[in-house]
Amino acid sequence: MEHTAEDIVLDVRGQICPACLLITLSELNSNKERLKGEKARLVVKTDHRDATRTIPGAAFAMGYSVSVVQKERHYEITLEHEK
Amino acid sequence: MSSAGKIEETDLRTSNERLKKYIREKVNHLLSVMGTKPLNKEELDDSTLIELDPIGIIALSFEQVLEHQKETNRRLTVAKDQLQAVFDTVGVCISIIDEDMRIVNCNEKQKELLVSSNTKAIGRHCYDIYCGKDSPNLDCPAVETLATGKPVFIREVKKKHKHFQIVTSPLNDADGKVTGVIEVSMDVTEKKKVEELMRQAEKLTAVGLLAGGIAHELNNPLGNILGYATLLLKDRESGLRPEHREKLEIIVEQAKKGGDIIRGLLDFSRQSVPSFSNVPINDIIRKTVRTLQNRFSSQRIKTDVVLPETFIVRADPRQIELVILNLLLNSIQAFEGVNGREKTISVRTGRENDFVQVTIADNGPGIPEEILPNIFDPFFTTKPIGKGAGLGLSICSGIIKEHKGSIHAGSEAGKGTEFVFLLPAAGPASG
Repeated sequence: MEHTAEDIVLDVRGQICPACLLITLSELNSNKERLKGEKARLVVKTDHRDATRTIPGAAFAMGYSVSVVQKERHYEITLEHEK
Repeated sequence: MSSAGKIEETDLRTSNERLKKYIREKVNHLLSVMGTKPLNKEELDDSTLIELDPIGIIALSFEQVLEHQKETNRRLTVAKDQLQAVFDTVGVCISIIDEDMRIVNCNEKQKELLVSSNTKAIGRHCYDIYCGKDSPNLDCPAVETLATGKPVFIREVKKKHKHFQIVTSPLNDADGKVTGVIEVSMDVTEKKKVEELMRQAEKLTAVGLLAGGIAHELNNPLGNILGYATLLLKDRESGLRPEHREKLEIIVEQAKKGGDIIRGLLDFSRQSVPSFSNVPINDIIRKTVRTLQNRFSSQRIKTDVVLPETFIVRADPRQIELVILNLLLNSIQAFEGVNGREKTISVRTGRENDFVQVTIADNGPGIPEEILPNIFDPFFTTKPIGKGAGLGLSICSGIIKEHKGSIHAGSEAGKGTEFVFLLPAAGPASG
């Protein structure tokens, strides 16, 4: 589906958990208003497999919907406000 | 540096180490709550740890978790209230029953129809609360669903004098094990009554036509039999021997009985058109009671007639007299074989909205519950063969319906029977 919200891209490739989770949470906190207002989505690029479990788990508890897409050499985790 | 200064620096380092250890422990605890791994000292040295401020990040994240929880709780409360409203206002009874046949939850409709006021239903056995029994019925659909795990549909079940259509569906846990039953039941008592009335009306129409036709055909030959037999009896020159005369008398008597039955059939088929006028119902009642006074006296039946007001009804007085006569005769006959106690027939009139209500009650033995629905059926009788054609109440029902009224009977074994009929009032009640 076409979306009009801005993508905030966070590239944490090369980092492992818990650092990538903490950095993602920090980004979710600092962009809370835009994300909750559906003006932006957070797209996290990670090559750490564990992050595809920890980030969605934490983000879901905070009220975000999550999708994980596997790219050629990394994962793309998209977090947006749960409708 | 002085030795005192060295001691202070050592103390400060020790204190810093303790503090950093504490921060790492607390951060790791919070990270485990978030479902991730503990901090790796090689990847996140002390200065980076302080700079990243993980406790601050997680605290802010928890703030969002709590906000989300609050919003989820609010939505759940709204959804629960909406579901509860649907649960309670839907026109069918819904119960959730556990494997021990105890009521886990039930809606307002269920309580309204089958739970007595001030009775707590939750946690009690459904067969106790809904069916008034000590154990489940053998054909209980909930028992079958619990045993088979399959839905059951029952076309008709009687519970506490009401009729229900029931569907039971299994409640399964995550492993597919049946842990209870959802029972949905619809009260079909009124529908059943309407169906019964329609069935009776159709039957009455068909039987009425048949009876009227046969009565007409039989009336002429029976009239001839009665006429010639009477003539022969009166003929003094016929030379009849006494035993022949006796047999002729039996023929006359039986022909007269046949004539009575034919009149009953003609009344039943109501081939005479009612002639409506405004009549005081109490006058008809008094007249009919007077007609039967000898019967009441000879059978030692006490009459209790209370007619406080004048009620005018739109009716055919001859037909209404027939109805009251039939109902009173019915009450008199109910006392046959009753001895050693006071026998009373009471008659009351009253106003019921746009209708005048007449109640004729006796304290006789009552009508068994199983035959009560059939008493207005044509040819239905509990009397021995030859004692009654079973048309009296059927005629009453037909006449009252033709007057756009209604008639019903209530009875309790050992306590008596009450017939109540309503007729359209012709005007307001007067004293």
